[in-house]
Amino acid sequence: MSYLHPYQDVAFVLRKVVDFDGLCAAAGHDEINADLAATILSEAGRLGSEVLAPLNRVGDREGARMGAQGVEESPGFKDAYRQFADAGWLSLTVAEDFGGQDLPNCLGTAVNEIWHSANMAFALCPMLSQGAMEAIGHHADDALKALYLPKLAAGEWTGTMNITEADAGSDLAAIKTKARPAGDHYLITGQKLYITWGDHGMTDNIVHLVLARLPDAPPGVKGISLFIVPKFLLDAKGEPGERNAVNCLSLEHKLGIHASPTCLMDFTDAVGFLVGEPNNGLAYMFTMMNHARQSVGLQGLAISERAYQEALQYAKDRLQGTRRDGSRIPIIEFPDVRRMLMTMKSCIEAMRVLALVAAAEADRARYATDPAVAARHFARLEVYTPIVKGWLTELAQELTSLGIQIDGGMGYVEEAGAAQHYRDARILPIYEGTTGIQALDFVGRKMLANKGETLLALLTEMEQTAAELRSTPYRYGSVVKAFEAAVAAGTRARQSLLDGAAADRHLAGSASVNFLMLFGYLCGGWLMVKSAQQAQLMLNAGEGDPQLLSAKLTTTRFFCEHLLPRTGACLASVLAGSESTMALTAEQL
Amino acid sequence: MKVLVAVKRVIDYNVKVRVRADNSNVDLANVKMSINPFCEIAVEESVRLKESGAATEVVVVSIGPKAVQEQIRSALAAGADRGIWVETDDTELSGLAVARLLAQVVRDEQPGLVLLGKQAIDTDNNQTGQMLAALLDWPQATFASKLEVKGAEVEVTREIDGGLQTLALTLPAVVTADLRLNTPRYIKLPDIMKAKRKPLATTSPAALAVGPGTGVKLLGVTPPTERRGGIKVESVAALVDCLKNQAQVL
Amino acid sequence: MSILVIAEHDHHQLKSATLHTLAAATQIGGDLDVLVAGSGCQAVADAVAAIPGVRTVLLADAPAYAHQLAENIARLVVALAPGHRHILAPATTTGKDFMPRVAALLGVNQVSDITAVVGPDSFRRPIYAGNAIATVQVEDPVIVATVRATAFPAVATTGGSAAITPVPEVFEAVRTRFVSESLVESDRPELTSARIVVSGGRGVGSAENFALLYRLADKLGAAVGATRAAVDAGYVPNDLQVGQTGKVVAPDLYIAVGISGAIQHLAGMKESKVIAAINSDAEAPIFQVADYGLVADLFTALPELIDSI
Repeated sequence: MSYLHPYQDVAFVLRKVVDFDGLCAAAGHDEINADLAATILSEAGRLGSEVLAPLNRVGDREGARMGAQGVEESPGFKDAYRQFADAGWLSLTVAEDFGGQDLPNCLGTAVNEIWHSANMAFALCPMLSQGAMEAIGHHADDALKALYLPKLAAGEWTGTMNITEADAGSDLAAIKTKARPAGDHYLITGQKLYITWGDHGMTDNIVHLVLARLPDAPPGVKGISLFIVPKFLLDAKGEPGERNAVNCLSLEHKLGIHASPTCLMDFTDAVGFLVGEPNNGLAYMFTMMNHARQSVGLQGLAISERAYQEALQYAKDRLQGTRRDGSRIPIIEFPDVRRMLMTMKSCIEAMRVLALVAAAEADRARYATDPAVAARHFARLEVYTPIVKGWLTELAQELTSLGIQIDGGMGYVEEAGAAQHYRDARILPIYEGTTGIQALDFVGRKMLANKGETLLALLTEMEQTAAELRSTPYRYGSVVKAFEAAVAAGTRARQSLLDGAAADRHLAGSASVNFLMLFGYLCGGWLMVKSAQQAQLMLNAGEGDPQLLSAKLTTTRFFCEHLLPRTGACLASVLAGSESTMALTAEQL
Repeated sequence: MKVLVAVKRVIDYNVKVRVRADNSNVDLANVKMSINPFCEIAVEESVRLKESGAATEVVVVSIGPKAVQEQIRSALAAGADRGIWVETDDTELSGLAVARLLAQVVRDEQPGLVLLGKQAIDTDNNQTGQMLAALLDWPQATFASKLEVKGAEVEVTREIDGGLQTLALTLPAVVTADLRLNTPRYIKLPDIMKAKRKPLATTSPAALAVGPGTGVKLLGVTPPTERRGGIKVESVAALVDCLKNQAQVL
Repeated sequence: MSILVIAEHDHHQLKSATLHTLAAATQIGGDLDVLVAGSGCQAVADAVAAIPGVRTVLLADAPAYAHQLAENIARLVVALAPGHRHILAPATTTGKDFMPRVAALLGVNQVSDITAVVGPDSFRRPIYAGNAIATVQVEDPVIVATVRATAFPAVATTGGSAAITPVPEVFEAVRTRFVSESLVESDRPELTSARIVVSGGRGVGSAENFALLYRLADKLGAAVGATRAAVDAGYVPNDLQVGQTGKVVAPDLYIAVGISGAIQHLAGMKESKVIAAINSDAEAPIFQVADYGLVADLFTALPELIDSI
């Protein structure tokens, strides 16, 4: 199935909701504006459509496999990676000192949507490289930066994240991999599980970032350090030389993303180099977490977009039923198919505007000269991150499933391609912190820890938007009503958790996912309403493409009428507390 | 040698065109626009000429509303050195009108070679390059699948009905690119960034002293007659039977 | 007013595209003059003179016209243009080469690839690779147009007796030099004028496998065509390409073998009167346009087909 980047919607969100030009101007990037972004997105879209998208099915059918010399990637992937890296796409947000373009994170996010839509299994590889670059860029010393960053930014090498172990999944305190000092470096020993793109033959070297314990480390999460372990040790010129003692032992057999090798990695006295300070590894991981988790949330958007394009095409082509004049009816005419397509389209637009607005908060926090302003944006970024990760990836399950439903029997068989998106999407609420972990983060660190202040600030802004709608007055009353009800649900849920968490020790844990989902729909609805306000202003002024803008008003209306009411169900569950959830004994379950 | 290459902004090759309900034209609202694929091949060829040392400067020109700057920028990112935007709101200029504007740009710029795509995939006219050559009284080579600059000549292999023809044109000359002249490269991100600093001059039909001229009036646009699928046959014998007895084409 | 039609030929034989172009000219109405420009092309002029309805055959016979160079033909046509309201040529690579040059030298527009005559100054022509049909009206004093041969029937070739008038002027451009030509020699009919076309796609698998299609074509007296994918894969030479960027064909019967049916290919063949498709993939889009579809492996179906006709 082909893929075309929905650049009009992205361009609209960047220009009108994110205020990309304003963001760049405030940062002093005079030459960077929405026009340049459009050119960049257009070229990325071309590479995505023409090179990466055609390999998506190939990679699903002929996944990565173990060969005698290590992992062999799917057919065509090496050439595609070469084209991708040669075109400089890995360097988009990297600092200029290391060969990067230093473009805003929100533009990088918009571009990354293309890679993940075109071929998510492929795009995981550069996504991991970006994570590795961020870790090294923020925390490694200058010597390590100079050795590794330019090669990673040029795509000549790729990066990985080695965190999980057999007994240490969500519980990082249980990490056992050891690192012992040996002169100017360390020797790492242990096994790491589920290492994405842990091995392949696409590049000359692979830079593993590994969490391990030093001999004198304190127990628990306060005793974890971060190391660089290259597949090939660097020679005096900084080029790959001797093979390091890090190997992929086996590959996982998975439900989806078959082209992305998921490796069991073995380190046996592998040479590693400490990143930053000893025992600070987890803190370093946390600084990367906003970006890493938002990247996975973005995958939820991207795969839903791909599934939507497939389903839409099918709905236009598939003829079922006959009119009186004998002509046949494409299923897109049927109201229930419309319901599914509109659910997909409106949710995807809500996911996109949230992903881009959240990504822009990272830019605003970084570019702000006033520390108070920077702190405010960083707090908002922190609130958005678990929502983007949790809500977008959970919603992707429903949307890719709808993609299959629209195709009917053709969706369930593998030939149409819809099934692959559904299988590929299933990992998203699991890796980089499960939905449960996101929800606990949201309720605990992002809400209870600051007594709900950051969430209150968000709800206050939403109230302002509701007030604007009332005063305009907005053309669709149902939008105003649904949005006000959803804001009220969010306000009440917040208050009930603040009031009840102390008394009911299971409340935060049992209500957290519903609380997170409530805020997902609410944030999505809020940003859709803000998009619709902008679209209406443009229509009034006779600017832009009226078809696109009036469609935005309608998708917003659909989202508010049909999706926002889900906040009510979430609220009911939050208000019900934990009693019935926890009442059965383990034996009764 | 300076090479001038002209590019047109058209509906993206991958977009399925639909005719407007009122049959006034095709529906271009809300569709992806790109550089015409044949123009893109012309740009690629001009950049290769520069990379091989045969050309010293590549100038890209496009005619239309502000949005065509996107296509000029794209050509600059592909390697052209500077751009010329002929500003006009008229998006339905005839091939002759475009050729007249380009001829004036050529007279100003004095390139040794002008490269164009053989046709635009919207109007499918296949005429602008030939008209430009005629207006300039320059030699032309259309449907180029191979191009080599040899001293004061350019040798061009053309894809013609039934085979290939090779011509040698004394420069300056006009060449139009066919599909197999080259495969355009994917544009690199650093080159997009560099392109924003490349000069882009603006001119207009008035500044070029080219008037509107006569036109070809578009009376209406209709969709092509839809072809419906027929029947599936079970065997070769059934197929032959249908072709012989039902369709009577064998 | 009269119409000037420029004949397409190989100096020995008149190409059928001219006959279809003359049909378009007949529909416009008016006296028909036909220019035969070539080198040693008297036989062509004689053939044109025998076409009913032709008033005058203008014969420009000179070495300068041996390779139909646009610079030379265009100037010749412009010299002969006065007195003609319409100037028509087939929309072949030759016609497409010199006709816009003629139009520009006359200071008028060119209407490319007309597929229907609506009135003396109004025509239909495909745009967007045939995904839309435009009706256009020309406001110029002289109408220069190229004609899509497959859209018009052929006129009769016998019964006429037009006068042949030599054209002494010779136009020879000095800045264009013919170097070489390599034309594919074939006994098969021309792709764009064949009554039956057998066409293969990527599904055929290799250049060797195309032999099966040639065998079928020879049995049927058909021309062989191919998709862009098959051409790009090197199975056949590129002048066999049918589609948006290749040739447009409209035979009585188009047999599509191992062709999935990308819209770019359909653009070049969907005007065929009858389409038969053989493909092993039952979901291939080609079946949505085929009158007769056979889901079968082409390596078993083609030999059977060859044997049964």
